Amino acid sequence: MNYSHFPAIAVMGLFLGAFLVEIFGSKSKIVRNIIVFVFTTCAAALMLYLVKPVMLDGEIISYWMGNWEPVDGYAIGIGYEIDQLSMFFAILVVLTIWLSAVYSFRYMERDRHLGHYYTLFLMLSGAVLGLVCTGDVFNLFVMVEIMTFAAVALTAFRNKKGSNLEAAFKYLIVGSVGSGFTLTGITLLYMQCHTLNMAQLSSMLSGNLTPVTVLALALMFTGFGVKSFIVPFHAPAADAYMSAPTSVSMVFSGMVNKAGVYGMIRLVYIIFRAMDIEAIQILLVLLGVITMFIGVTMALAQHDLKRLLAFHSISQIGYVITAIGLCTALGVTGGLFHALNHTLFKGLLFLCAGAVLYAAGTTDLDRLGGLSKKMPKTCICFLIGAFSISGLPPFNGFASKWMIYQATYEKAVTTGNFFYAFATVTAVVVSVMTLASFIKVTQAVFFGQCPAQLQQTREVPFSMRLPMWIMALLCVASGVLYGDLYRFILAPASNAALNVTGYIDAMLGSGTAASAGIADIEVAKVSFSYWNPTAWLILFAIILIAVCWVVVFGEKTRGAVLQSESAQDVDGKYATFFSGEKSMHSHVGGSDLFWGFKKNFSGYFRVMQGIHSGNVNDYALMAVAAAAIFIVFMFVVLL
Amino acid sequence: MILNYITSVILIVLGLYTVCTKRNLIKIVLGLGITDYGINLLIVSIGYNNGGTAPIYSSDLFNLNASAAAFVDPVPQALTLTSIVIGACVDAMALALVIMLNRRYKTTDANEIRRLKG
Repeated sequence: MNYSHFPAIAVMGLFLGAFLVEIFGSKSKIVRNIIVFVFTTCAAALMLYLVKPVMLDGEIISYWMGNWEPVDGYAIGIGYEIDQLSMFFAILVVLTIWLSAVYSFRYMERDRHLGHYYTLFLMLSGAVLGLVCTGDVFNLFVMVEIMTFAAVALTAFRNKKGSNLEAAFKYLIVGSVGSGFTLTGITLLYMQCHTLNMAQLSSMLSGNLTPVTVLALALMFTGFGVKSFIVPFHAPAADAYMSAPTSVSMVFSGMVNKAGVYGMIRLVYIIFRAMDIEAIQILLVLLGVITMFIGVTMALAQHDLKRLLAFHSISQIGYVITAIGLCTALGVTGGLFHALNHTLFKGLLFLCAGAVLYAAGTTDLDRLGGLSKKMPKTCICFLIGAFSISGLPPFNGFASKWMIYQATYEKAVTTGNFFYAFATVTAVVVSVMTLASFIKVTQAVFFGQCPAQLQQTREVPFSMRLPMWIMALLCVASGVLYGDLYRFILAPASNAALNVTGYIDAMLGSGTAASAGIADIEVAKVSFSYWNPTAWLILFAIILIAVCWVVVFGEKTRGAVLQSESAQDVDGKYATFFSGEKSMHSHVGGSDLFWGFKKNFSGYFRVMQGIHSGNVNDYALMAVAAAAIFIVFMFVVLL
Repeated sequence: MILNYITSVILIVLGLYTVCTKRNLIKIVLGLGITDYGINLLIVSIGYNNGGTAPIYSSDLFNLNASAAAFVDPVPQALTLTSIVIGACVDAMALALVIMLNRRYKTTDANEIRRLKG
């Protein structure tokens, strides 16, 4: 069976579905849902069929649109190329869109004009899938633009409230500035190389950087940075994730910012092969560290569930960028693993937030509480997501975060550079703060007292719970079966990122890479000895048993005091966290569990509030200033 | 030819300056448009050959003794067309958003439109 057409059919199918929904689906709900379900399922099936040949057999699929094959070694047509790295991100994309589509059938049922919603949704899906499949930089730009366009329109979909329009406008302006940089970079590349094919660009650019290509690298780097929402481009992301319908927020954090990460990997590892240069590694790690820290501290200050999750999303992308910047086998593997895990657990958390919004009608932490009795299944899913993102074994966040700690520390040892050890410490601290933040959220939403107006809340319907259960299952499975996951998915993907010869040869005929002077690189195997999650799970179980022992057989007095204090109290929501002292917690809202921490660092938080001013000019200025810094930096270190 | 490049850079920088400094939403959208035009000019300029013919690969069509190297590169022109279409779509959507924002907030001042912050 000739499967080289499958990626093109999957992408075209999603775009065709977008048209069909607009034509036939605006009247009838059933027709619309069937069209969306069929096309997303087809795309998922087509791409998952390719897992065996690409991931397991190591084949690289190349496909020339209209059979315009290269003439005399010059690529003139638009090519699709699925190597293991593209395949890895394609798996994330099809998984996210399928689950989001199933979820949105019930979640969006109360909205009007759903035909337009699904049109935009399928356009967004097709664009991101096309982005990861394409082997042509201009096609990449077009897909990025369609993605931004559809994402902005979806952000503004529920436009009853002005704030959604505001978020969409900011996203559009900053996103377009980023796209403009990308397009300028692509133009400059074409100017130098007279080709748009990534494989050919890679073989041409290896080892001979001119000022024009360095400028192109800096501009495209900025462009993909904007799309992946790293600091300082992150401000519109928080607004957009918060305002978009939750099924779309999940798509944003599951694949739209992964598309930016994919573009960045493709750019620095494959097209420019610039990762051998230490300054570029330090730049990426530094950006990652800043992103993860600012993301998580801003999350601590939030009092809206979805906005908080959005800042955590930014923070987790920081982990991915840090790990990818290390340019070691372990680092890249850990980064890709964390990207996969982030799609799973953040998707799960957003779906749970959507379920809360659907059932309770609000995501304001101050007005929620005690929902664990009303919606126990959602609560279990949310806990699994929260444990995963906080990095508790045996969930998947633990495995990937541990890989990142180990990779940064190994890098510090091998290079003797203190900066990488600093990155390790920051990563651990950020993980602790993530856990703290999720303790607050879980307490504020699912435990404690249930407010009077939420007494009628009921569990969400089955078709919304199904994607949540699938995600939760995958979170546990990828945490436990990390060894198989590494062997079948992660190792091929990280090898494809580090080793460019296969990519060039598959597209332009074997021997092209060798004639351009690009040699095969031996990629080291990752050892699992240090971070076996099973061992850590046993340790945690022993500690848990010890704690239970002390609680059950230890002195009863302390527990008794807590019990009696909170029983007297009207609002016992936070009794556990304030030793039962009434005066302490009487003024503390659901969002302010860590008010003491926030007060201690009030100077830092004031600066941060000033930076996230909400003014679109400031956000655009941050993007342009970052572009200027990247340009200067790259000129200094690369020339 | 060098004038084209200078003009395109001036247009791009002018557009970005407008986006970063002007408070009026309409002006911000116009700034985006100006940036797009600068980029389009840049793309068209890189394909231009002085004295080049139309890029039709048939030697006896005009019989101008022109070699293939003297053709104007057709790829950047195709890219420019795509880029113009995308730019027009983005501008249209941005203006639609401005109209709806004006209805909800009763202003087009970027300083007033900041309910989402912090």
